[in-house]
Amino acid sequence: MRSSLIRQVLILAALALIPGLGEAVYFRQRISWQSSIPPSELVTVDQARTWAGNVIWVDARPDEEFARDHVPGALSLNEDRWNELLPQFLAVWSPGKKVVVYCSSLSCNASREVARRLRKEAQLSNVFVLEGGWEAWLKKR
Amino acid sequence: MKTYIVALTLSIIFSLSARAELKWEQTMIELHPTPADKQAIGHFKYQNPGKTPVHFKSVHASCGCTTAQTQKDEVPPGESGEITATFNIGDRTGTQVKTVTVETDEAANSKTVLTLRTIIPQQLEITPTFVFWKQGDKPDPKTITVKVGKEFTVKHIKVSSSSPDFQTKVEEKANGEFKIDVQPQETKNLVASTLTIQPEDSQKVFYATARITNSPVVQ
Repeated sequence: MRSSLIRQVLILAALALIPGLGEAVYFRQRISWQSSIPPSELVTVDQARTWAGNVIWVDARPDEEFARDHVPGALSLNEDRWNELLPQFLAVWSPGKKVVVYCSSLSCNASREVARRLRKEAQLSNVFVLEGGWEAWLKKR
Repeated sequence: MKTYIVALTLSIIFSLSARAELKWEQTMIELHPTPADKQAIGHFKYQNPGKTPVHFKSVHASCGCTTAQTQKDEVPPGESGEITATFNIGDRTGTQVKTVTVETDEAANSKTVLTLRTIIPQQLEITPTFVFWKQGDKPDPKTITVKVGKEFTVKHIKVSSSSPDFQTKVEEKANGEFKIDVQPQETKNLVASTLTIQPEDSQKVFYATARITNSPVVQ
């Protein structure tokens, strides 16, 4: 009786594991532990402000939101027009400068995508994502 | 014992299906646009098998690059419809996962997350897309690697520099790989160039940047 119960439990657990594994494979690029930003790549508004003239602010939001308002001196670099905007950013960048990328809300991943592409494709170092994004900047403005 | 477990499982399934009023054909769609496509569109179909109308309270996408539209605000019993999610590809690359959150006035399952997974084909993968020399550096060549995407065949590429200050030389390697050597004439002046990379027999153009930068700021 007891062994039968254990067998049933194991069968149900194994059945539950199949869709779980399927989802893990299908959503492998969205698994939380892979998509979270390491603390070393995050920066707060206060920290970024201490870098003063040695920082380039990058606005990863869509054009309309950038046009409405942005961090003073920030450059627009979004993935809608990446090929067009990247050369404008690179024209301003220089070795040793820190780059802080922000987007508009906590759920938005535009800033982390832009930061990832700057690190991986342009192979730049010292690229950070602003913790709390545009909203955090507004609070401390 | 087996009968109890089967009965329990079935009762859970039936009770859950009876509570859910709006039934979605699928809550996740995978799209494979062509390199020429500017948008990827997913149609999330639903039906109301219940006995009361269902109202949409809100429909919003996870990011500015995705929009979602409902055909109607109210879904009467027995009726079906769809939510259209449009993802603007822009200059994005790789696998893009965007979500649309749908809120209804259903007693149970009032919030549904629809997932649009778009796999954007990448004809050429260029690394790095930026090469630079500091002012006064030795003007040695730097290499850009171009890898052809799995689904594509590219035998030759054309590379041109927008400025005569930089010379480029293409070397064709095995396994659909190219190496581009970029070399500045000299590194005295702060100059830049846009490198245009184009696969043969293709309209699609890729870019890289070469630049002489000023020296790092000393803190």
